[in-house]
Amino acid sequence: MSMNFSEFKKLLGADPWNRDPETLRARNSAPEFEAVAVDAEAFEEKLQAALNVQPPSGLLNDIKGITQQPAQSRNWMPLALAASVLIAIGAVGMAWKQSNQWDSVEEYLADHYSHDGPGLVARATDTVDEQLVIQIMASLDASMGQQLAGNLKFIKFCPTPEGRGAHMVVSTDQGPMTIIFMPKTQVTDGTVITFDQMQALMVSLEHGSAAIIGTQTQTIESLEAVLRESIKTGLVGA
Amino acid sequence: MTNDTERTRRFNELAEAYSTDLYRYAMWICSNDALAKDLVQETFLRAWRALDSLKDVGAAKSWLITILRREYARTFERKVPKFTDVDKVVIVEDDELEPDERTERVLLRQGIMKLEPKYRDPLLLQVVFGHSCSEISEQLGISKSAVMTQLFRAREKLKTQIQKDGVTGNVHELF
Repeated sequence: MSMNFSEFKKLLGADPWNRDPETLRARNSAPEFEAVAVDAEAFEEKLQAALNVQPPSGLLNDIKGITQQPAQSRNWMPLALAASVLIAIGAVGMAWKQSNQWDSVEEYLADHYSHDGPGLVARATDTVDEQLVIQIMASLDASMGQQLAGNLKFIKFCPTPEGRGAHMVVSTDQGPMTIIFMPKTQVTDGTVITFDQMQALMVSLEHGSAAIIGTQTQTIESLEAVLRESIKTGLVGA
Repeated sequence: MTNDTERTRRFNELAEAYSTDLYRYAMWICSNDALAKDLVQETFLRAWRALDSLKDVGAAKSWLITILRREYARTFERKVPKFTDVDKVVIVEDDELEPDERTERVLLRQGIMKLEPKYRDPLLLQVVFGHSCSEISEQLGISKSAVMTQLFRAREKLKTQIQKDGVTGNVHELF
């Protein structure tokens, strides 16, 4: 039995590019069927164009950078850890080295945080795997003490003005705060900047620096001492 | 070629093949560009960790979509993301569009953002990923006839939205 007009419209409404023999037969059976099919295809092209969102530049490179992180299924042994440190240090300044697209650290922090900071804070509720923290920090020629690591809810590599760094979310009694660790970037210690209802405190470390970012109602300075005690830099004198 | 090199090569192929479509999908389900980027990165991070469990390369697309949907569900349970103004998102535009066509596209985007997830999800899987109705059925765990009904209704709602807002001139509020 051939398809009636109503069935044909519903079918194309669900599957506009349907090319089943029965559908094609129905399409060719009468001008009104053909007209509906042409309209459906035209709408589909508009829909396709409307959904065509362009990914942010650098997304693919960021994703490929994931391969420098450990695979959870693997049994990481101390020797493997040491090897990965050497590999990762070698990789710094290569894959992750970006052209310096910010005029200042302040501009970088505002730009970087506004890009994905709020989203990461929203998602950061799980405890971070200790091995992952060790791996990431080691590859940045640093380590993190338990006082800070034990309260981490998120950590990942991120771009900084001078190569790769780490983006972290820390649970505090005032709510989540963000730390951006910039192992190669120098800052003026104690500088506070504000942007988009957020504030950032810059902390100079033995090598590189970090920024503590929180809302303007949080006392971000309360995390400074813990940060200074916990993050040790320049472990292999790179 | 070492196992690690081979593993990295497989992963990079997946990233090159699917990262753009996954970002588009993420963008339209969460309406937040920063969260979309994050969701895609998290999806690939999880995929990297679990890559050895992917035995069938042909199943990679559905596998990645499943990871992303789970991650989004977890995110959404915690906090409703702040919606992005769609005009702030970089869109691949055709400069030769007539003003009416541009208006219609804006209305269409607004309509997509307003669609209920039960209509939007199958539509995105079909248009962004090119899934068949059977594949959508499998991905979403609902019957094929339900998928077809939702796809039909999704398109009807979008067409109605365009006609309604186009006629009443609501498009001006969108710019």
